[in-house]
Amino acid sequence: MVLALGVALLLTGMVTSIVVSILGVLLTFLASVGWFRQVLPDEAHQPVEVHAEPVPVFTSRRLAAKLPEDVTSRKIIPVETFRITTGIRGGLAGGVAMAAPAALYGWVKYHSIWYAVNLLAAGGFVSWIGASNAFLSEFHLRGLLAALVIHGLTSLLVGLLYGAMLPMFPRYPIVTAGVMAPLLLTGILHSAIDVISPILNQRIDWFWFVVSQIAFGLVCGFVVNLQAKVRTPQFQALPFSIRAGIHSDIHDRLHDEAADTNGEDTSR
Amino acid sequence: MATHIPFDQVHAPEEIGDKTQRKLWLEVLHEWVTTVDHKKIGMMYIGYALVFLLVAGVEALLMRIQLAVPNNSFVSPEVFNGLFTMHGTTMVFFVGMPILFGFGNYLIPLMIGARDMAFPRLNAFSFWISAFGGILLYYSYIGGSGLYGAGSAPDVGWFAYAPLTAKVFSPGHSTDYWTLSLLLTGIGTIGTALNIVATIISMRCPGMKMSRLPLLPWLYLVTSGLTFVAVGPLTAAQIMLMLDRYLGSHFFDTQAGGSAVLWMHFFWIFGHPEVYILVLPAFAFANEIIPVFSRKAIFGYPAMVAASVGIGFVSLSVWAHHMFTVGLGAAENTFFVLATMAIAVPTGIKIFNWLATLWGGKIQFTSSMMFAIAFLFQFLIAGLTGIMLSVAPFDWQLGNSYFVVAHFHYVLVGAILFMLFSAFYYWYPKMTGRMLSEKLGKWHFWLFLIGFHLTFDFMHIPGLLGMPRRIYTYEADRGWMIWNMIISSGAVVQAVATLLFVYNMVWSYFKGPEAGPDPWDAWTLEWSTPSPPPSYNFAETPEVSSRRPLWDLKHPDDPDTDYEIGPSHRKRAKEESA
Repeated sequence: MVLALGVALLLTGMVTSIVVSILGVLLTFLASVGWFRQVLPDEAHQPVEVHAEPVPVFTSRRLAAKLPEDVTSRKIIPVETFRITTGIRGGLAGGVAMAAPAALYGWVKYHSIWYAVNLLAAGGFVSWIGASNAFLSEFHLRGLLAALVIHGLTSLLVGLLYGAMLPMFPRYPIVTAGVMAPLLLTGILHSAIDVISPILNQRIDWFWFVVSQIAFGLVCGFVVNLQAKVRTPQFQALPFSIRAGIHSDIHDRLHDEAADTNGEDTSR
Repeated sequence: MATHIPFDQVHAPEEIGDKTQRKLWLEVLHEWVTTVDHKKIGMMYIGYALVFLLVAGVEALLMRIQLAVPNNSFVSPEVFNGLFTMHGTTMVFFVGMPILFGFGNYLIPLMIGARDMAFPRLNAFSFWISAFGGILLYYSYIGGSGLYGAGSAPDVGWFAYAPLTAKVFSPGHSTDYWTLSLLLTGIGTIGTALNIVATIISMRCPGMKMSRLPLLPWLYLVTSGLTFVAVGPLTAAQIMLMLDRYLGSHFFDTQAGGSAVLWMHFFWIFGHPEVYILVLPAFAFANEIIPVFSRKAIFGYPAMVAASVGIGFVSLSVWAHHMFTVGLGAAENTFFVLATMAIAVPTGIKIFNWLATLWGGKIQFTSSMMFAIAFLFQFLIAGLTGIMLSVAPFDWQLGNSYFVVAHFHYVLVGAILFMLFSAFYYWYPKMTGRMLSEKLGKWHFWLFLIGFHLTFDFMHIPGLLGMPRRIYTYEADRGWMIWNMIISSGAVVQAVATLLFVYNMVWSYFKGPEAGPDPWDAWTLEWSTPSPPPSYNFAETPEVSSRRPLWDLKHPDDPDTDYEIGPSHRKRAKEESA
């Protein structure tokens, strides 16, 4: 405390009086000497009595038990899932597929495959906000690079999302990835695009946008589903009999266990 | 059994009890002033921050009274400038950081099974120098002279943009008080951060590997790392400003070749990580409190750690989103827009994991848990308005408006203060040995919740209508009056709730029911000590084998060790299969 007071007074003197700073220097010196003497050559200690009284350990719950399982239980964490690289591959493949309808749209409407590229990039360039269609139809290296970064990153992230989510909807992967997800994403973007990129909002053709989204979803979902799943650490936690394939029905097994512990507190 | 601890930690109440009342108080005072015990220092941090919280709260109330109706002159414009400067500076530097470091000081050694911080004397020094920084700042009301000689306290705003801080625009010493007090508190902050890192790295009890470290120390580790990186530039900028003001250099003097934008960069390189320095400890509290009152282990421990570290890194690259209106250029704007948006990903992971922890849990709606649940939803809204402001064109429209004020108060009050209240209800029994009144706690919660939403939900609206921040008063025809009246009413409700909380703390200290060592049936090591813990924390050094050592003690038939996936678990699985 004395050292802190000394340093504080030293600086306080700058807004009050030199006398205060001098006092601060004095206190800082004295406190530094005191501190050094306490810790050098050996740190000063003082014995203190320790009361080794046992602290009671109790719990408000009764015995723990495993949750009774059934097929709808949420306790089973997936034992198999996709690798993270699966999402990346799917995203990149989807991104390439998405470029085709986008380029086709530019070609059909403006006779230039660069229109969609520049339109995407325009969100990042303030000076392009009022650009003409002719300008956006020309090739611009800056636009291509910006669009590549925006499109690449977005495709990657959406691909990762697909990789993570597709195992959750195993029944109709093509419908989920190729129709539901693109429509959902389009809806979200439709409501938010004005904030993200006003120029894109002014000129976007939603029909072609949905087409390119579906192209992305179908290809990304297809590539993700092609990849082999890997076992999660959760798999290691399963009993040996299940991991070895001796006991294949985990639900039956847990039901049996639950029956033994019925009535006990199951929270964990 | 005898052990050795630093000599300032003598704890012998039975000896003190025999002496006279006067001597008792002197001894108690001496004990607290000279202590190096991390718990006492932690409580002093918290106590001093609470005093400043009340002071800054009164300043906020005065501002809200001034703004409640148009053309008001409740305070003068000069006083108003001082009020918003002192309110912001106090809340960030003398409430937020000390109170969070106070909790860290108190809890970290207890949670990792250590007897004290790594450097107890440095710990005491850090506290006292921070405290003197705060005292120096408020001494300016007596000793300073302000803008155009009109006021006495600093009045250049809490981020003190150049050239307002130049000697010509801020004569006298008001700005110097601000600079010097922040320099002092900066020294203390770095000292405490150093201590926290050293303690967590080198003083964990046997068995507590980093993969078993409770999430609170984990997040304090990230916070302390951020502090190292962020406080340095602020200190450098303060020294440069002092050189400008005292020795006539021109770092920030644009007319002499300096750069006002340079100050902005320096300040916000500190300023935005500072938000995370404040909010990560709030996350840390949530990580401990939500599982205990959901009666479940935290969902996704490794993801939570990774997300925290991720937030720490990304938060260092977003500072210029405070400067979109400067005109940085398209490439810089794009980078900072994307970086700011990217930080939503690890933050989203955290929110998801807290919700997943609640899901299917046996939720106990204690006062602490209610504040934590409110935090979850309010922080989500704060994050969403943050995403809105991260979009440069949106920020160009609403920068420096009340929308921004509403956004960051949603973070600072809706998230951090709510989680602080939650932490008080949770750890007060450990610190004092007494339970806080739950009845008063519920009153406090509902009143504060209503007051908070009245104030800060409605504060977005005048911002959208164009009301600039720091405005002294406004014309009646702007259409802002009704919103400002609602906002000010909410502030009064929050003040009443806060007074109720203070009353609860004081009343419960004397009259509250005894807490016992583990009133919440919790799982981390601090609850294995008596309440309040003795100066030496643990009579015997604890040994742990999972992230929830008390769960293992309470449930030897079903220990966490069987569930936590890690090298030991894999080894056992291999042995089983062999």
